[in-house]
Amino acid sequence: MTPGRSSAMLASLAALVAAAGTAVAQPPSVTRHVLPNGMAVVVRENPVAPVVTASLQVRAGSRFETAETAGITNFLVRTMIRGTARRSGTQVAETAEDIGGTLDASGEVESAEIRGEALARHWEELLGLIAEVALEPSLRGEEIERERRLVLSQIKTRAETPFSLSLDTLLRELYGSHPYAWHSLGLKSAVERLGRAQLAAHYRAVFRADRAVLAVSGQVSRERVVRAAERLFTKLPRSGAHEVGAAPPAAPSGERRVLERPAQQAQILAGYLGPGLNDPAYPAFRVLGAVLGAGTAGRLFAELRERRGLAYSLGALTPFRTGPSFLVTYLGTAPENSAAAEAGLLAELEKLRRAPVSDEELARAKAYLLGSFALDRRTNARQAWHLAFFEVIGVGWDFPERYARALEAVTTADVEAVAQRYLNRPSIVVLQPPPR
Amino acid sequence: MSCPARLAPVLLASLLGSACSAVTPSSPNPSEGSMPTRRILVNGVRVVVQEFHASDVVAVQLWVGVGARDEASSELGLAHYLEHMLFKGTVTRAPGFVEREVEGVGGRINAGTSLDYTYYHTVLPAPRAIPAVEMLADMSVNSTLSEKTLDLEKRVVLEEMRLGEDNPRRRLSRQLYELLFDGHPYGRPVIGTSELIQVLTRETLVGFYRRHYVPESFVLVVVGPIIASEVLAAAERTLGRLPRSGLKRLPLSAPDAGRSARLEIERPGTQAYLGMAWLGPKLDHADTPVVDLLVSILGQSRSSRLPQMLRERLGLVSSVSTAYSALEAAGAVTVTAQLEPANLARAEAQILRELQRVRERGVTDAELRRAVTAAEARYAFSTETAEGRAYAFGRAETVWRLEEELAYVDRLRSVTPAQIRSAARRYLDPERYARLAFVPPAR
Repeated sequence: MTPGRSSAMLASLAALVAAAGTAVAQPPSVTRHVLPNGMAVVVRENPVAPVVTASLQVRAGSRFETAETAGITNFLVRTMIRGTARRSGTQVAETAEDIGGTLDASGEVESAEIRGEALARHWEELLGLIAEVALEPSLRGEEIERERRLVLSQIKTRAETPFSLSLDTLLRELYGSHPYAWHSLGLKSAVERLGRAQLAAHYRAVFRADRAVLAVSGQVSRERVVRAAERLFTKLPRSGAHEVGAAPPAAPSGERRVLERPAQQAQILAGYLGPGLNDPAYPAFRVLGAVLGAGTAGRLFAELRERRGLAYSLGALTPFRTGPSFLVTYLGTAPENSAAAEAGLLAELEKLRRAPVSDEELARAKAYLLGSFALDRRTNARQAWHLAFFEVIGVGWDFPERYARALEAVTTADVEAVAQRYLNRPSIVVLQPPPR
Repeated sequence: MSCPARLAPVLLASLLGSACSAVTPSSPNPSEGSMPTRRILVNGVRVVVQEFHASDVVAVQLWVGVGARDEASSELGLAHYLEHMLFKGTVTRAPGFVEREVEGVGGRINAGTSLDYTYYHTVLPAPRAIPAVEMLADMSVNSTLSEKTLDLEKRVVLEEMRLGEDNPRRRLSRQLYELLFDGHPYGRPVIGTSELIQVLTRETLVGFYRRHYVPESFVLVVVGPIIASEVLAAAERTLGRLPRSGLKRLPLSAPDAGRSARLEIERPGTQAYLGMAWLGPKLDHADTPVVDLLVSILGQSRSSRLPQMLRERLGLVSSVSTAYSALEAAGAVTVTAQLEPANLARAEAQILRELQRVRERGVTDAELRRAVTAAEARYAFSTETAEGRAYAFGRAETVWRLEEELAYVDRLRSVTPAQIRSAARRYLDPERYARLAFVPPAR
């Protein structure tokens, strides 16, 4: 790379990162406040559009579940928006829609979220509704059964969709008995059995002030939001009785699994475990993933799509995880090309292990990652999610700023080191149609 | 590069200026950005620019008035294929320019092809706005479309087709349109057919490119922290220098009255998918806002009628929703559901009962108010980002009119329950509709 180009690129990136609002030092638009009961409230004043979004997240999710409770967090929060002591599920939905918004909830891997959006002039009603759902859920029996039916249907859909079935299978191969092995929707066997008493106990354990964060982003005043949050969430109890045990260690199989399903395309996935986001190696691991899967110049796109025409969709996944994260590479291809595509994918992984990446590739991968991260945080909804997520998992709402700096500092030697350390013996899943 | 689903009408009356050719003054509220400027260059290229300072990101989009509906029956899939090929290099830009000029500076670029239009959309750091205009202008007329890349891309597009086949919702949507618009250009698959793609020649593709990628088809939209006059000057010296082609896009005739058709297709899995479709008003029809609200009340939110009745009360489906696609020459109102195969007949009957109920008794004031508020909120959320605004401007300028968009939310506010009931009677005939179901294979 020429020096001129390098500096132009960095200048451009600085602009993009600053655009995201949180990647510059303590931007004045974001503030954090702790309520008397210990709950954190993060507010981002954003005058751009007459809207507001809020994300209430609690530290819960599939990471904290067992095979017997797998899916309980998602099941719980989905049922919570189905009615409160004061409103039926339909009335909750109508109340949100009356203020130009929506209310939704999901349990994810590291956190569970109740989120809402509305026209900015209704910000206080939106926070009131979220507080009502969080503090007074009715968890009525018939609503539990309705939600159970829907969640089981979603689990079934994942199992009948070639890509999600392949990914879920690979994560089981990678994580073994560690709870990252299953999707946050949970396991069918667990969701079928969970009863009201378990959901209620789980609610009492996780909806606690010291494991909850409220993030609000939009055309709002921070003082008024904090005052309203103090009033609305004061009854959220301070501490939980529920202590989280250590998860069983993840143990990748390093095996190749073949699934036979009727499909037009074969799916080929290969993955490895990697460092968690608190690990100093994490930024280099993300850069490694970007060298492979980021954009049109990522190695997989350039080699397997552009040069060989083997796939339309392909890429690399590397998530934010507090425990061991993963790198999963994937592509979909015609069944007759399955062997060539698998060999091509594995060859790219091996190449990365054997030879260092060039300076130019490194710069491009970083640019792509930083750009994605910044572009992803421009709407109020994404901002609220990011602020609440990083705060609730314990790394602080301003983690993106530190993460961006750490990405910029990654060297080719760092990438080589993580390739050597983590890219050993991939676990592989191939889904293909049965032979005719 | 992607092929987005047909898009529902965007409910965007906006901050648009009228169709003037002079730069309009800045808005008094800096958070909303200045008023957009619309200019028609001497060769017919339309340019819409808005200064918007929410972030340092600029959205630059090139809209082209060509879609699947402009293809002859021997050209199916060409608009989409061209969209892929425009990323492969120009006379002066070697392959890999996307990486060098967009991704390498932290930006993104993609494209979509629909029945009525094709558009190329990029977001970049603001200082890259002018180079992005130059790049899109170059792609639009100077792409090499080389024989070698054309052949290689065939494999990629065939993979894209296979991917679509494995996705039940995408496939349902496509085949439902085929059934509803049978024999009309809107019934064609945007992605084309594998038979035609396999034998596609460079000569055919170049002919299509030269015919449709002309000044009269182009709309350039730039939204972000830019100086409008600089962008307009860049548009003048790039797209503005292209010679007029004299192309006048042929108006598309309306499809024949909606037909009754029923089709059941086996596909792997244990769940069923149901799609039902009716012809609706085209984009510039007076009924468009009325049908928009009707469809919203029927099935576009958690509290709307079909999810409440079929999913919540009766437990017949795991999901159900409605959509209204307002195209230039026709509209489509669709109801789609995912369900257990055993519930197919009951679910279909119940959907028809709900339609009948609206036809007979109309909707409540509260339902109407909620639907209007939802539209207002959708608009407000769409103005959060530069690309959200650019999309609305570009689509309106390409397939509709900016001044119509300007009045759209006000038109929604003036709709009455009586109009909604009357639209339900006019468009949602329970006896006459296209119906498609995917069912698991018989054991």
